[in-house]
Amino acid sequence: MKTALSHYLPACLLILISLPAFTETLPPGVMRINGTTAPELQLNNLDGEPYDLKATQGHWRFVHFWASWCGPCRKEMPSIERMIAALGDNELEIVLINTAETEDEVFTFLGIVAPELVPLMDRDGQVTEVWQPRGLPATYLVDPAGKIQYQALGGRTWEKPVYLKFLRGLNQLESQPGQ
Amino acid sequence: MRIRMQYLIAAQTLCGVLLGTLLATPAFGIGKPYPGPYVENDDLLMVLIPHTPEQMAAFYEARGFPEEAIKLISDACFVTVHIKNKSRRVIWLETVNWRFSSNNQPLQRLGSNYWNTRWDEIKLPLANRATFGWTQLPVQRDLQPDEPVGGNIVFEGNLKTFNLDARFLTGANKRGGMLDINFQNIKCPKEEPRP
Repeated sequence: MKTALSHYLPACLLILISLPAFTETLPPGVMRINGTTAPELQLNNLDGEPYDLKATQGHWRFVHFWASWCGPCRKEMPSIERMIAALGDNELEIVLINTAETEDEVFTFLGIVAPELVPLMDRDGQVTEVWQPRGLPATYLVDPAGKIQYQALGGRTWEKPVYLKFLRGLNQLESQPGQ
Repeated sequence: MRIRMQYLIAAQTLCGVLLGTLLATPAFGIGKPYPGPYVENDDLLMVLIPHTPEQMAAFYEARGFPEEAIKLISDACFVTVHIKNKSRRVIWLETVNWRFSSNNQPLQRLGSNYWNTRWDEIKLPLANRATFGWTQLPVQRDLQPDEPVGGNIVFEGNLKTFNLDARFLTGANKRGGMLDINFQNIKCPKEEPRP
């Protein structure tokens, strides 16, 4: 009996410890994905500076596709700007990709809606095609190893506590009580 | 991409019951809560928003589409479809299960093959093609709980009215029953004659 207990007890403890991972509660509209490798993402930003997603391995990445003609995108962009301000320096890399619009369109739109944001420019829309989002807007959360672990459905109110807590939790950088 | 809803695993497992076929008819609320004919029930919201050629031309013109493309777009009938899954299970948008008709005759949409051929003919830039593509209704989508989807469906411009019988399968494995939604006498608006 004692032998059996000592044999099974570690296994039982391991299951109990692992339970939270299986009962993960996600914010509304966020889906777990089976860790597919993120496609290539090499683009210039609105200021003409090059960006390569691979160069940011080691951090969680918030990869967001949008266009100014898309109603939910227009609604969501200020929320993303507030989310970035609220997260501060939590090592979540924010990657915003405009799909198939011109500098003028993007500059005009962001100047009004979210002036602090500098997106990458997918001028011909071909990078977006490779990622194949379910629609616009679309957000992927890419883990430090380059695997897509989560996807958000449609526009989300990212600055709300439920999303901030989730995003901070990706890096185990929970905020201080009261924040 | 294989997708899993972690927080719904238990609910979806229990949701293997047959729902039965639900026949819904368009409701036109007095207050007109949506900008077009719509069906709303406990499972989904579906709204059809027909556009005039002027509206569509203005939209794509503002996105830098060339004149040849605007002409083709203006010659067609565009209807924006908005669908939202209000249930707690997967609802399958599969336009292959939709039947369009007009004057008791089957009606074909101007689908991606039609548009790709036209765009090849006029050598439409990739950016315009991408934008046009993202503004079309996807042909398939496993709509997750609370997930919206939207986009245009397009017909020949001389169409006056049409009916739509849209069938949706439900459940992650499509064995959760069917939802049948019916719209009748949807009008393709034409430009108002100028005074």
